[in-house]
Amino acid sequence: MLADDAACNSRNKFAGSVYANPGRQLDLYGDNIEVDYRGYEVTVENFIRVLTGRVPPSLPRSKRLLTDSNSNIFVYMTGHGGNEFLKFQDNEEISAFDIADAFEQMYQKKRYNEIFFMIDTCQANTMYSKFYSPNILATGSSVLDESSYSHDNDYDIGVSVIDRYTHYVLEFLEGINKTSHASMQDLFNSYDVGKIHSHPGVRDDLFKRPLDKALITDFFGGVAQAEVFPPVEPQEGTPNSGEDGIVDVDVDLDAGPAVGVANETTRAQMSSPDSIHSWTLHALKELRAWACLAVVGILVAFSWSR
Amino acid sequence: MPTGRDPETERDGLRDPSQLYFQADHVRRTIIAAYWIIIFLAVPLWWHTTSIERLPLPSALVESQAERELQFPIRLQVPESHAVILPRLQGLLREKTLGHPERWKGLDLQLSVSGSAPTETEAYKLSHRLGESLIDKRQFIHDLSIEQMPELSALLCDLLAPPPTHGNLVFQYSPRYRLAFSLLNEDSASGGYVRTWNITAGISRHISPILSRMSVLHNFTLESQVQFHAPLAFEPRSIPDGEYGLSQEDLTVFVNSAEWTLSSSVSNDAVIHFVIFAPSAKRRPLRILGSDGAPLSSNSFLLPQWGGIYILNAPSSMESSRDLSSVDLDSIFPTFSEQLITLLGIPRLPSSVQVRHANARNVISEWQLDALMRRRTLENTHGSQDTLRSIVRLVDQIENMPFGASVRGDIQNSLAALEKAYAEASTSLSHALTSSAEALTMASRAFFDPGMLALLYFPAEHKYAVYMPLFASAVVPLIATALREFMAWKRQRRGIAGGQAPPIEAAPARG
Repeated sequence: MLADDAACNSRNKFAGSVYANPGRQLDLYGDNIEVDYRGYEVTVENFIRVLTGRVPPSLPRSKRLLTDSNSNIFVYMTGHGGNEFLKFQDNEEISAFDIADAFEQMYQKKRYNEIFFMIDTCQANTMYSKFYSPNILATGSSVLDESSYSHDNDYDIGVSVIDRYTHYVLEFLEGINKTSHASMQDLFNSYDVGKIHSHPGVRDDLFKRPLDKALITDFFGGVAQAEVFPPVEPQEGTPNSGEDGIVDVDVDLDAGPAVGVANETTRAQMSSPDSIHSWTLHALKELRAWACLAVVGILVAFSWSR
Repeated sequence: MPTGRDPETERDGLRDPSQLYFQADHVRRTIIAAYWIIIFLAVPLWWHTTSIERLPLPSALVESQAERELQFPIRLQVPESHAVILPRLQGLLREKTLGHPERWKGLDLQLSVSGSAPTETEAYKLSHRLGESLIDKRQFIHDLSIEQMPELSALLCDLLAPPPTHGNLVFQYSPRYRLAFSLLNEDSASGGYVRTWNITAGISRHISPILSRMSVLHNFTLESQVQFHAPLAFEPRSIPDGEYGLSQEDLTVFVNSAEWTLSSSVSNDAVIHFVIFAPSAKRRPLRILGSDGAPLSSNSFLLPQWGGIYILNAPSSMESSRDLSSVDLDSIFPTFSEQLITLLGIPRLPSSVQVRHANARNVISEWQLDALMRRRTLENTHGSQDTLRSIVRLVDQIENMPFGASVRGDIQNSLAALEKAYAEASTSLSHALTSSAEALTMASRAFFDPGMLALLYFPAEHKYAVYMPLFASAVVPLIATALREFMAWKRQRRGIAGGQAPPIEAAPARG
């Protein structure tokens, strides 16, 4: 889900790309990005519908979350947020209660095995405080009453291109390949408050596995299990070789529960290109306060003059 | 009704308000009353439009249905000539049943001597013959001497309640599946690519027999495609002898889902993929490596609940394109049919048992099909019981979740189908399966009803903040005037009761 078409925005000097840094080393948009929900389709309602599966029957496969009890789901959210809410499209917001209820409904219908929830907004950690369904690992960028800051300002485009927390998480994940054995604990250990300028949080009380046993690739990279099939002789009339013939080469090197093939790594991304500047946020707040005062003043003046 | 003009007001250019028509008491009171009447009339409408439709659910019925367990009677008949083995066999089978409670869950094994009692469903029969064990329809031919009983009971246990397939290879039950066959050339431009394949022959010779046998359980749709550029997302490693290898880790990320379009997205059915992958001429032959790094003899692998992949290494001498004839496919498709059997969860026969009159491999016997149908029916009933229970639980838990007539209808249909499945379990296996699938579909449809989306959560202070500016400004003057008017009216009444002259301004109202 991408609310803004930053890549193809006419103000983007580098059409078709979204660079993660001013040096333009890393193109986030790449060649094979699929955006399933874009622009005005990105609404709180659609997001909850995708999660819970309560979609109209006519909706195509690509817009559904086709997961089952073997699927691991990664949910990443970013944008303007606050205490227990995240803004969608400048006119609505999703609250921590809504996401918690949506996850509970997914749990009840066995739509996931595990969820990894990551959020980068101001006061992000409040967003996962209301979760109550099992097997959810959550992490956020900042504590209550704390802002998340942007990282790099690209002067060619005139906006900040990435948030600090996301930048350092991405930097860590770029060093991971599909066959890596790095664990979630390694990711959380890489958090550096001095660099991120806010206090990232981790919530693992709902998560059953120890963090150093949960691999990064359990949630990223679409890694499946594979089973080598014994050669089948093209002979007519031979009986079945029997089950003992299957060579079980279980590739899941992790001792934890196996992750099914539908290891759906779903990115529900709500990103806005103008990253969160604390000053813009404060300016907005101030503007709003003054605007409210002005409206009240006009109303009072109007009624007095009559 | 100001009929005459007061000279005093005439002089000032002002009129006495009490003389104005619209300031007459009854007019003013009617106006104020009209506002209140509208508000009171609008309250039911507002109540109706803002309340959430929450119909009563048949919770008690769901709970009682969810407690019930499906029981399949399995009738096994011993020939009269060998009635002596009955007690011994019964004892051994009971031991097996207790030894594997999860395999025998929902199965009720009943042994009898053939011909003693008529049965509703077709019974399984035992026959005596020395030599190899054979299956003929629902008959099992084996040596029925008393020394053979341990072996016989073990075989019967594997036939009637086969061990579940290890891992989560098997697809979850769906009434419809789509089989997508893809021939992928990694890079046709490098030469020696596969141009066409005789897919129709391959399917009709190797896949169709399985599909027609499985048509009681599922409905299959088939599609096929050939692609000429299907790059891998990684570099296969080079191994000695000029060969290339896929390590076990490479296999897990083999499918390049970002760049390969493996199935059309016309429907939402579950897709079983079968892929023949022809590596580029630059990287041939491509071998699958074992965990020790040595090439394996196998060139196919299975991804659980996804499908099978076969790596087709064309001879490196081959320069131009090549067509896969039905003879070529005869060496590939048996792998796919084996994989299909595994993915659909069809139990394997014990290795010492053979099917009589089997003129081809992969003949699915009645015993296998019945065992699969029993397992799928049990899975479906459990699935629908769980779903129904979770709907009831969620509705209690999340208070602002609406559910209307369609959800309730689906729940009732699901319960009815479950009831039917319980009843049919003892008479017809295929009917019980159909009913259980119906129950599962209905329960899922009820759960996924688009109308059952909880309203967004708003804290109480949000609601006050939204409603106060809107309503406070309108309601406060209304209440104030109503109060003032009420006080005036009371003052008037008191005035009349006290026998005093009524106030002047009240005069027109009385008249």
